[in-house]
Amino acid sequence: MARLIGQKLLTLVPVLLAVSLLTYLLLNLLPGDPALLVLGPESVSAESIAAVRAELGLDRPLPVRYLAWLGAAATGDLGRSYITQQEVTGAILDRLPVTLELMVLSLTIALVLAIPLGVFSAYRAGSRFDKLVTGTTFGLLALPNFIFALLLIFFLSVRLGLFPATGWQPLSDGLVENLQSAFLPALALSVTNIAVFTRLLRTDMITTLQEDHVTLARSKGLPTWRILFRHALRPSSFSLLTVAGLQVGTLLSATVIVETIFALPGVGRLLFDAINSRDLLMVQGVVLVLAVSFVLVNFVVDLLYTFLDPRIRSGAARVRA
Amino acid sequence: MRTTGRAAIPAVAQDRSRRASRSNSRESFMTSIPGARPNRSARRLAVGLTALALAATACGGGGSEEGGGGGGGGDAPLATDNPQPTGEPQEGGSISVALEGETNGWLPGVTAAAAPGYNVLYAVYDTLAMQTAEGTYEPYLAESIEPNEDFTSWTVTLREGVTFHDGSPLTAEVLAQNLAIIKEPTSNLAGSLAEVTGATVVDPLTVRYDLAAPNAAFPALLTTTPGMPFSMENYNAVGKEAASAAPVGTGPFVFQEWRRDDQLTVTANESYWGTDLGLGPYLDEITFRPIPDEDSRLQSLLSGDVDAFQTLRQSIIRQAQDEAADGDIALHTFLGNNAGNSIFNTLVPPLDDPRVRRGLVHAVDQAQLIEVLGGTGISPAQTQFFSEESPYYSEEVAEAYPDYDPERAEELLQEYVDDPQRSDGLPVGSPIALEYNCQPDPSLVELSQAYQAFWSNVGVDVSLNAVDQASHIQNAIGSPATDPPFMGDYEVNCWRSGSQNDPYIVLRNEFGPVAKQPLNFTNYTSDVIDEQLKVLATTEDLETRKEAVEQIGLDLAENTPRLWTGTTVTLIGTRPEVQNVSSWQLPSGSEGIGTGLFTGGTAMWGQTWLAE
Repeated sequence: MARLIGQKLLTLVPVLLAVSLLTYLLLNLLPGDPALLVLGPESVSAESIAAVRAELGLDRPLPVRYLAWLGAAATGDLGRSYITQQEVTGAILDRLPVTLELMVLSLTIALVLAIPLGVFSAYRAGSRFDKLVTGTTFGLLALPNFIFALLLIFFLSVRLGLFPATGWQPLSDGLVENLQSAFLPALALSVTNIAVFTRLLRTDMITTLQEDHVTLARSKGLPTWRILFRHALRPSSFSLLTVAGLQVGTLLSATVIVETIFALPGVGRLLFDAINSRDLLMVQGVVLVLAVSFVLVNFVVDLLYTFLDPRIRSGAARVRA
Repeated sequence: MRTTGRAAIPAVAQDRSRRASRSNSRESFMTSIPGARPNRSARRLAVGLTALALAATACGGGGSEEGGGGGGGGDAPLATDNPQPTGEPQEGGSISVALEGETNGWLPGVTAAAAPGYNVLYAVYDTLAMQTAEGTYEPYLAESIEPNEDFTSWTVTLREGVTFHDGSPLTAEVLAQNLAIIKEPTSNLAGSLAEVTGATVVDPLTVRYDLAAPNAAFPALLTTTPGMPFSMENYNAVGKEAASAAPVGTGPFVFQEWRRDDQLTVTANESYWGTDLGLGPYLDEITFRPIPDEDSRLQSLLSGDVDAFQTLRQSIIRQAQDEAADGDIALHTFLGNNAGNSIFNTLVPPLDDPRVRRGLVHAVDQAQLIEVLGGTGISPAQTQFFSEESPYYSEEVAEAYPDYDPERAEELLQEYVDDPQRSDGLPVGSPIALEYNCQPDPSLVELSQAYQAFWSNVGVDVSLNAVDQASHIQNAIGSPATDPPFMGDYEVNCWRSGSQNDPYIVLRNEFGPVAKQPLNFTNYTSDVIDEQLKVLATTEDLETRKEAVEQIGLDLAENTPRLWTGTTVTLIGTRPEVQNVSSWQLPSGSEGIGTGLFTGGTAMWGQTWLAE
C-alpha cells in the first residue's frame, strides 16, 4: 500500500509542475503591465513604470521570475501581491477555512439529500415518487448556482428573514451564527450536486438491486431498509464516490460565484477580486492551491476505492504476484 | 480671493443637485416610467427575477463604464429632494454600510480607492479642504488656505491642537513629510502632484506648497487623498504596508479592524477636533462591508443585514425606487457631471479625421442609447463635461454638439471614403472599419450592439471586442514604448468621464500633452484648449472661467473626441432611521456637496446619526 501511495504521489509532481508553468505563462503573457495597475492612470510615466517594475522584480526575464517563484513556492512562499501588498500564502490561508467549510457543508447537504432520494427512487423505480424526483433533479441540473443563490436570498432572507442575505460569521462568533451565515451559500453550492448524485445513485442502485446477492438477501427475509442501505448501497457507491471527487473541482469554481454573491471572504472571492484587478501573483497562487487541492482530493478518492472494494486490493496483489 | 474660514477658495461655484432639483428640467429627468404599479410582493418578486436576468452582470464585477443596467420596472419618482434630517442629532448606535467593492489599502499614495473606498477614507481621515454644495472649496481640517498673487504657491495653516488617532500632533512638518512620501515615483499620487515642487514649513502650523506653474484650483486637489494627512509617527513605526492596512488619520472615526473582503470596523473618535464645530461623530461604530454583487447589496439592505448601501448602477437605482416608495428605505441621490460616453483615439486612422468622428456622433441616437442602458427617466443626455446643474454648463455648447442626423453622418463619412488623401491609406471607396471595445457586461454588450447598428446604418463596418476591465483601462493608457508614448492601443472604447472636480483639474487631465498626460485617453489636443487652460489656471473669476470652459466645450463639440450618452446618477440608500446622509456641513457652517463627494455615492458618515 505504501508503495502504491508513493507511486501515485510521484505522478502528481509533473501534473502540478505543468499546472504552475501553464498558469504562470498564461498570466504573464497577457497584454498589459501590472506596473500600470499599481500606479494608476494618473501617475503613469516611463520613469514611474520603470521604478515600479524594478521594485516588483518585473524587470527580470520571465524564466528567471518563474524559477524564482517556483523555488519560493516549494517552500510555501507564493510571493506578495502587486496590488494589495499581501503575502499570497497568508491571504490564501486566511480564506481557506471559509471555502473549506462551505465545500464540506455543501457536499454534506448534497449527500444527505441525494442518498435517500437516489435509493428510494431506485427501489420505487417508475413510481410517482421516482418520476417526481427525476423531474426535480433535471430541473435542478438546469438551474445555475447563481440563480439558485439569488432565489434563496430573496425568499429565505428578504421575505422570511431566516438567514442573513450576505456576510460571514466566523466560528469564533459562535457555531449557530457561523452555520446561519454558511447555510444559504452551502445550499446554493449543493444544488447541482444534489441532482447529479441522486441521478447517479438511482441508476447504479437499480443495477445492483437486480444482482444475485440482493435476491439472496430478500429470500432470507431481511428487512428492506437493511437490504437497501447495507447490501445495495455500498456496491452502488463507487460511481458516486468518483463523481464526488471530481465535483470538488466544480465546487471550487462555483465558490467564485457563490462567495461573490453572498459576499463571503473565501478563496473564490479572493480569486474573483484578483482576476478583476489583474493581481497576477495572487491569481497564480490561488490557481496553484486549487489545482493541488483538486489533485489531492482525487488521489484520496483513488485510495478510498481500495478500502471500499476488496477486489481492487486483491487485483493489485495478483498483478504483483 | 483669499480664503480664511468661511471665505470660499476659488470661486468655482457649482450648483448642486439639491438646488437643481427644484428646476423643472431636473424634474423632467426624474419623471418615472409610466405604468401600472404592481403590488409589493409582485414587485419584490420582479426585483428577484430581474436579478436573475442581471446575475451574470452582477457576477461580472464592479460598476460598468456606462453605469448602465438592464432596465427594470419602477414607477416611483426618484427622490429629487434628498431626505433632510429630522430632529436634533442623536449620539450612539452603530450602523453597517454595504460598499460596491473592496479597496487595496488605505494609505494616500497606495490606495486606489474609488467611490466605495472613499466612504471609508472620509471616516478615518480628514481632508485639508472640502467642496461645498455651491461648488466652492473651503478649508476643512485646515484653518485657512491662501494663494500668492500668481497662484504658484499656496499656504496652508492648520488648526491648533489637532491630533492623530495615535495621539501624535498634526503639524506643518507632518504635512511636508506626507508630501515627500506621496510624491515618490512609485506612489499613485505622483502624477497628480507632479506640479508641486515642494512643501516648506513656515511655522509649526503653517506650510507653503510651491507649484511649478500657476494653479488657481489647487485646493480642489486637497479634497481627496493628496489632502488627507496621515500619522508619520505610525508610518515610521510600522512601515508603508502596515500603515496602509491599519490607517491612522485625524478623522471622526478610529480604525479598529480590517478583514479583507469581509468588513472594516471603525469606532467614534472620542477626541475629535470637529466635535465642538458640530462635525460629529454621532455614531459609536460603523462597519463597512464590501458586497460586490449589485443585487445582493440591495437585498442586504432590504433584509436588514446592513443599514445603508451605495450603487452607481442605474437598474439597481430603479429597483430601490420601488422600495423607497413604500417608505422602506430612504434614497440619497446625486446627479453630477459623471457621464457615460465613448472615446475615440484621435491618433489612430480613420479616427484622426474630424469628419469621421463627427459623422459617427451624428449617426447615433442618444435617447436610444440611454434606453439601452436602462437610464430612461433617470439619466439625462449629456453633451459636454458639465451637466445642466453645473454653472459651467453651456447652452451654446449643447447646441453645437452634433445631433442625431444620419444623413449628415453619411455625408461626412462619404467625404472621407472618397478622399484620395484619406488617413487610413485605403483606396478610395473602401468602407470605414472600426473596432469597438467594451466590457462583457450584458447591458454593455447591448450598448455595443446598438453602436454597431447605428454605425452600420451609415456604412461603417464595426467589429465588437469584449475586454475585461483591467485590460480596458490599460489599453486606453497604452505603453511608454509607442510614439508618442501612451497613445493607447484602441480605436473606440466605451467609457465614463467627468466629476465634480474643478474644471481646470478635469480638463487639464483630459487634454494635456499626450506623452506627459496618460489621462488624455482620446489623445486630443488643441491650441484653443491649451490657451483656455492657462486662463483657468490663473483666475478665480467665475465669469472668466465659464467663458474659458465654454470655449473648450465648443472646440470639443466641433472636433468630437468623445461621444456622450447620459449622466450617471449615484445613490446611497439607507434605512429611514439613518439621518443626515446628504446634508453634512463644513466647519464654516456651509453645506457640503452631499453624496457627490469624489464621483458620487460617497457620504460623510461622521456627520450621520440614528433617529431615536
